[in-house]
Amino acid sequence: MIFLAVVGKNLLHRPTRSLLTLSGIAIGISAVVALSSIAWGFQRSWERADSARGADLILMKVTTRDPMGAPFDATLRDEVMRLPKVTQTAGLLSDLVSIEDSAPVLVFGWERDGFLWRHLKLVEGRWPKDDEENAVVIGSVASSIMNKTLGSKIHIEAEDFTICGVFESDAIIENGCLVMALPQLQRVLDKPGKITYLYLKVAPDITPAEVDGLRKTIKEKFLGFRALTSGEVARNNAAIQLAKAMSWATSLLALFVGAVGVMNTVLMSVFERTHEIGILLAIGWRRSRIVKMILYEATVLSFLGGILGIALGFVSVRLVEVLPWMKGKIEGVWSLELFAIAGGVALALGLLGGLYPAYRASRLHPNEALRYE
Amino acid sequence: MAEAERQVVVEARGLVREFDEGRVKALRGVDFTIRQGEFVAVVGPSGCGKSTLLQLLGALDAPTRGEVLFKGRSLSTLADPSAFRARSLGFVFQSFHLLPTLTALENVQVPMFEVPSTSRDRRRRAAELLEAFGLGDRMDHLPVKLSGGERQRVAIARSLVNGPELLLADEPTGNLDSESSARVLELMRHIHEERHMTLVVVTHDPNVARQAYRTLGMLDGRIIADTGRQPEGTP
Repeated sequence: MIFLAVVGKNLLHRPTRSLLTLSGIAIGISAVVALSSIAWGFQRSWERADSARGADLILMKVTTRDPMGAPFDATLRDEVMRLPKVTQTAGLLSDLVSIEDSAPVLVFGWERDGFLWRHLKLVEGRWPKDDEENAVVIGSVASSIMNKTLGSKIHIEAEDFTICGVFESDAIIENGCLVMALPQLQRVLDKPGKITYLYLKVAPDITPAEVDGLRKTIKEKFLGFRALTSGEVARNNAAIQLAKAMSWATSLLALFVGAVGVMNTVLMSVFERTHEIGILLAIGWRRSRIVKMILYEATVLSFLGGILGIALGFVSVRLVEVLPWMKGKIEGVWSLELFAIAGGVALALGLLGGLYPAYRASRLHPNEALRYE
Repeated sequence: MAEAERQVVVEARGLVREFDEGRVKALRGVDFTIRQGEFVAVVGPSGCGKSTLLQLLGALDAPTRGEVLFKGRSLSTLADPSAFRARSLGFVFQSFHLLPTLTALENVQVPMFEVPSTSRDRRRRAAELLEAFGLGDRMDHLPVKLSGGERQRVAIARSLVNGPELLLADEPTGNLDSESSARVLELMRHIHEERHMTLVVVTHDPNVARQAYRTLGMLDGRIIADTGRQPEGTP
């Protein structure tokens, strides 16, 4: 017989309680897995959107934590174009805008002749003709959620726009957006001449050292601005940071409940088995072995709960992804790192929940424990 | 071997055990020695201190005053009484004290976790003992599926599995019918004779006391009689 067999038999002796505790842990871990996966997915989606637009660097104002970026004067691009190795620029203005009776939607204003449009795939219709046309293109997901199709009128702030095209993007976040010519959005938002991001393309022969030099020059020349990569922009995005913080806060709460559940179960089990622990001490088990047995029990429970929780979290996110009203809005990111974190958290949960009961069990006096019935 | 030449295994020196801040005196000064290979019965009425004495001999409890020496070493100086119990002692209890979640075979293996052994060693050793004790066909049964006599034989097998030098038994037949008692007694006598094991048995049962070659009579926390007889066949 191996030591783990003793542990397993102890757990199986009260299967209902073990199963309920395991379920509690699984729910906690599934919350960690699902929320983290969605938060990471949110970040990846932003990264993908920025990266799909083909920019090498993104210039932004860093004096604010505004999730949509702080607006600045679009004329800055003329100065940026004069920097060495910068070959193209494209200004972008974005904001969350209430449209009719639907939830706020992300609306982009792009310079019509800029390179940002190139990565979008037009499914039907056409792009806006010029900067004066009151027309928008709509992402495929936004189109189905808002029930707006080609030719539909859409009321944005105080103006009516016509949907002149429907597009798709590799970045899931863009499929839920509207895009119009930059001057149109500047007018609608009452931010004439303003943009929130300036996307830069640099010469293909640029070296990493030269990229660093360019970033340094931008930082020094334009006070309060920084040139970031798409990944850095996503990581610095206040909305993403908020989503991540919320996912961790909710996860911690779920884990706290899980740890208390483990502790309660194992402590009850220790109380009920006082007599058995007395027998083990009487026949020569060291206190350290009793501690080991109790910690193993808690850890085995939480490990199994962790595996179940990972599976449950994975299935939950997959289900949410395909729900009709959520489709295209969220995407989960699955990585070994996430599973390792979840597994590690589950084991930590077991150890934390098992520590006090193990301590209590190890303090039992064999003689008194043997008398306990 | 002459009795005087045999090694002293247990020595009790002025053992006093008080409870409830001295209001209850379970042992009031107990002195004796037990030599290697002795089969000693401790007898006396309920509450005379027999079980308390056994607990002190087994390092399950500590005396208020006095000391127990095992092969010349005071138990109070042991850094790890568990290791002493695991390697040098075997315990047999009136209520068997088997673990209900483990089979007979697994129960016997439990003390072996405290000595260097492989899983295969543990299984083989436990199976040998159970076979020897007539429980070869009951190895995979949980305690609840065993009779009282069978449980006690499993408990005896467990007490011997690490090859102890001293076997302590507290009313080993107290919960058994006469037939099972006789079988357990036969087993204990066999262990004493075949293994030259030192046995100390606390008992109310005159049949058990008759098996022993020496009897310590107790009353009110003191030893009032120490009588012995030569084992059969001894010159």
